[in-house]
Amino acid sequence: MDIKITEELDNLLKDNGMKKEEIQEMIDNAESSETKLEARDGDISIAKGVSDNLTMYAVYSPSELVNVYAHKMKILGLTGGELDDIEYDDTSDWVCAKCGEIALERNVDMTYMGVTRPGPGIVCPKCNEFYISDGVAKTLKTAESILEEKRA
Amino acid sequence: MPAKDYAPIDQNWLEDAGNLWTTPWVDKPSERVIVDPIILSHAASLFRKNAGYFYQNPDEAVRMVCAACELYDVTPVGHYLYADYWGLDYGAEIKMQTNSPPGITKRPIKTAEDVDNFEVLGTDELVKGPTLTTHYKALDTVLEEYPKMFAPITQLGGTMEVATNWAAIEDVFMWMITEPEVVDKLCTKAGDHMVNACRATAERYGANVMITGSVIASGDLMDREQIKRFSFQPVSRAVRKVLNAGAGPGVYYHLCGNHTDDFEMWKDAPMSPFTIMQIGYDGQNIFPTSKLVENFGDRCTCFGTVDTKIVDRGTPAQVYEQARDQVIAGKDSPRGFILGTACECPTNAPPVNVHALVKAAKDFGKYEKF
Ligand SMILES: [Zn+2]
Repeated sequence: MDIKITEELDNLLKDNGMKKEEIQEMIDNAESSETKLEARDGDISIAKGVSDNLTMYAVYSPSELVNVYAHKMKILGLTGGELDDIEYDDTSDWVCAKCGEIALERNVDMTYMGVTRPGPGIVCPKCNEFYISDGVAKTLKTAESILEEKRA
Repeated sequence: MPAKDYAPIDQNWLEDAGNLWTTPWVDKPSERVIVDPIILSHAASLFRKNAGYFYQNPDEAVRMVCAACELYDVTPVGHYLYADYWGLDYGAEIKMQTNSPPGITKRPIKTAEDVDNFEVLGTDELVKGPTLTTHYKALDTVLEEYPKMFAPITQLGGTMEVATNWAAIEDVFMWMITEPEVVDKLCTKAGDHMVNACRATAERYGANVMITGSVIASGDLMDREQIKRFSFQPVSRAVRKVLNAGAGPGVYYHLCGNHTDDFEMWKDAPMSPFTIMQIGYDGQNIFPTSKLVENFGDRCTCFGTVDTKIVDRGTPAQVYEQARDQVIAGKDSPRGFILGTACECPTNAPPVNVHALVKAAKDFGKYEKF
């Protein structure tokens, strides 16, 4: 699928050191493998691309790119290791495209510069896929800069 | 006292204390466990001032706290806060008191209809409001005069604590029985307020540490189901929203009072990479650090506690003994450990008792995990 990228988004890509082709490839992979989140109330999707030191996300509609963001902390898995029953409504606004399950808001362990701590993730309870929202990515950016300063 | 009347902070001490303070957050090796006795108006007593003076003079308050941190060799952070935040912004009246923190005397919400009509203030309005104006005066003083002792904290408590600063506690507890959905609404509004307040601090300082948790909502006053419905669930939603708004990364869960029946549910409370869990009591007894570490050690930073009553009225030997047991049980907790008090250091606690707490950390809190 061919995604339109506005000038504003193009600037955001440049600011984050991301390339258009990279984003297009991420979206193509997400579409072909169905490894993506779909909004429960619309036609917005989130694709994810994981490399050694960066996890990137592209939020897109069938016609255009809506947002991109990234974090350096690497997601390891569920905090506490298992998907326990929890006592609040943890359903997110997203569905896992592959299995159709509603994704859950759960803590995930993340590691960066040798430090492992939790963060609020979006988790497919069946496929073991983990995502981070754009807002949480902002929080992680602050956390990463603290780790960079203190672990240097 | 103006800034010039305080002796300068020893920069070598500050660097060492800063290193100890860094360890629980980022696993950077240091020598021993840091102590945080949650010093607020206790600092005033060291200057022969009272709590009333402390709270009426936020700039002096943080200077006194910073000096006390050096005196005791504890967490180098200049704090200023009290429990009855956020009433004034919504029309409550507050009374300054000589020997205790300011207390709300008249609350804006009187009836269930008031709850419906109650409108949560936006971030811009809160910034201009009396609570944050005073709070930021204290924080700005730290930033200007003690920049290395600055932390961008927002004092909230949990939803029940905010709710009972807006409506009388007896009304809220009555509604809990007669019209619980009114309390649901109130707690949802409290959660929205928490998000807006955190945004304000994050926008001003570039980061935010939220102090939340469950204080009134403890086993002393509420049963497990009530704590779940009116504290754990709405607090979790609010924390999640704060982190989703980029208004973190610090989350400090302060579970004051007895949490025997509900502590386990907090294992799944939303966490950021900089999360502390502090639990006061297990029934009548201090919450054992061994139990804290067993349940939270593989999740977040654990804050082990010494009974505030002992710090206030016990002997130095009693403080030292309990602190020893807690620090030994907690020091090598995988995601960091802090030794402190179950709640704020009592205003007139004997300084030797605070010293005994720190002494126990020095004697028994040497790290072995690094
Ligand atoms: Zn799935």
